[in-house]
Amino acid sequence: MSSLAAHYFDGARALRHDVTLVLSGGKMKIVGRDVDREVEAQRVRISTRIASTPRWIYLPGGGACVTADNAGVDRLVHERKAQRTLHALESRPAFAAAAVFLVAALFWAIVDSGLPLAAAKVAEHIPLEAESSLGGEALAGMDQFWLQPSQLPLDQQADLSVRLAALAALAGDAPVYRLEFRASPVIGANAFALPSGIIVLTDELVKLAQADEEILAVLAHELGHVRHRHVMRRLLEGSAIALLVAGVTGDVASATSLAAAAPTLVLQTKFSRDNEREADAYGIGLLRKAGIEPRHFGAILARMEAQAPKGPMLPSFLSTHPSTDERKEFSGSR
Amino acid sequence: MVRPEFHGSAAEYFRIWIVNLLFTLLSLGIYSAWAKVRKQRYLYGNTSLDGDTFNYFASARTILKGRVLAVVVFFLYAILTELYPDSIWVFLALGVLLLPLILVRALRFNARMSAWRGLRFDFPARVRDAVPLYLGMSLLVVLTLGLAYPWFIAKHKQFVVSHHAFGTSPLGCAVPVGRVYGIHFRAGLIIAGMSLVAVLGAAVLSPVAMLLPEAGWLAFLLPVLAIYIAYAFAYAYLQARMTNLVWQNTYGAGVRFSSTLGAIDLAGLYISNLLAIVFTLGLAVPWAVVRTLRYRMENFAMLVTEEVVHEASPELLNISATGQELGEIFNVSFGV
Repeated sequence: MSSLAAHYFDGARALRHDVTLVLSGGKMKIVGRDVDREVEAQRVRISTRIASTPRWIYLPGGGACVTADNAGVDRLVHERKAQRTLHALESRPAFAAAAVFLVAALFWAIVDSGLPLAAAKVAEHIPLEAESSLGGEALAGMDQFWLQPSQLPLDQQADLSVRLAALAALAGDAPVYRLEFRASPVIGANAFALPSGIIVLTDELVKLAQADEEILAVLAHELGHVRHRHVMRRLLEGSAIALLVAGVTGDVASATSLAAAAPTLVLQTKFSRDNEREADAYGIGLLRKAGIEPRHFGAILARMEAQAPKGPMLPSFLSTHPSTDERKEFSGSR
Repeated sequence: MVRPEFHGSAAEYFRIWIVNLLFTLLSLGIYSAWAKVRKQRYLYGNTSLDGDTFNYFASARTILKGRVLAVVVFFLYAILTELYPDSIWVFLALGVLLLPLILVRALRFNARMSAWRGLRFDFPARVRDAVPLYLGMSLLVVLTLGLAYPWFIAKHKQFVVSHHAFGTSPLGCAVPVGRVYGIHFRAGLIIAGMSLVAVLGAAVLSPVAMLLPEAGWLAFLLPVLAIYIAYAFAYAYLQARMTNLVWQNTYGAGVRFSSTLGAIDLAGLYISNLLAIVFTLGLAVPWAVVRTLRYRMENFAMLVTEEVVHEASPELLNISATGQELGEIFNVSFGV
């Protein structure tokens, strides 16, 4: 005897009818005070089970029944195995606990290697010239606010340019770059890679260096940023992270989406630190090829840090660069 | 007076949420469409009004198509506007021009995929009905440097609500513009007042930061946090008051509505949700969803003034989910 209690709606009017469903001889009967229908059981469509929400039984030719008697429905029809498995996975605490660990592991794998790898692959296919308008604007913007024309003698500039070109030629896979000399009392001793391969070197860094090798070590590091397309990858990774975080927190009301800002920041600074390490490795590899001792890199980093103005101390997970100690150790200067 | 009731639980929803999140990550996002349908069906199926639950019909395939398009558009936007900053104007122009289309299609999709008592909701507005409001009014907002914004919001809410229908029974809505101005003015005061407190706090804290460099980052964090809280309060205030106002001025065939959201309650809810989500690394999301839903339901009521039998609208076509998903991913808030 397969029968169960349900509500019937005819689909044309929002009126509830209490009915009994009876299944016999391949037919489904829907019987109530004002209802008497009989349909082919084969042509009835039953909604898949989700937790203990009521099940809908859609009748051929319109109209539907709904019942909270999930066990009754399951007795009436056999759901496909995939659907039953899905319901089992979604309802047992043990699976939920396992899912927490798997989600954490998967999230870590995506963030730690999957995403940077994918971004690197995609970035390779985007020509460096795509960044040229951005690079030009970035340099113009910095020129306006923080940079002044270089005071270095022209022959010194030419000498450094030639030595960097020779170093880059050794790499074999060296990217197209453009070295720019600038003075910057505001920024102090530093060098940075801008979009489209522009590398800016400050006079202050040249003065701080005790040997040309130290300057070349910093420039080799910047070449690493250009070679590994860190500008483009930062862009791709940032967009992907925004999507990923929105995917997790997107269910909640907008005010809570502030919650998405913190993890995005933490993840982006992690990518930044990873990029610095990658540029360090590239730079040091290049120095070795040129027969320049890598300890020059650690030496100039230490002097730059000692000279830099003391900002507020950031916890390491919010810092854009790895600690100088770590980088010195990497360059073999300890 | 009839109130919606929620029969689910945070624990039950968590189990569904986490397993669906796992499949979404494993499938690199593809399963997210199926996950969305299952989560939505859980929430709808556990919500009852006057003894009958809601039903959600959307097909995951339709939602997936919309999501793929939305992700492509998002990446193009993120990368092109960075590489060519001027291209933001192209995206902005396209966004404004397409807004009426996206809005109407998204609302229609959502309405038609939702049903109660076996009857689908509907959003029979045409795109051309939305054009004068959204193109004309957004221009007006720009020209008046934002002064027309509350007026625009009033007209927007009115447009959205009054074009919804249950079957063929339409809703009516007339939002009083003056009250909307009052609400936005007070929300502005909340932000201004609390930002002032934050700035003063920062002024007091910065000498402390000089003395204790190890705790220096805290001195920067605290004022930022205070401004966040100010925004959360202002946002909650706007949400609560606007929702209440809109529902008080909405009527349907034989029904009126009441909404009694409290600004402070809602702000407390948002801030505690935020803290819980941050400190559980996101695991509290399902709990936050369920308690927010519960609170909203407890403060909503339908007053039946006359027994009316609502009837189905004759034509219900299959439409693409694209509009809905675009709206969702760009965080355009279409709800009331």
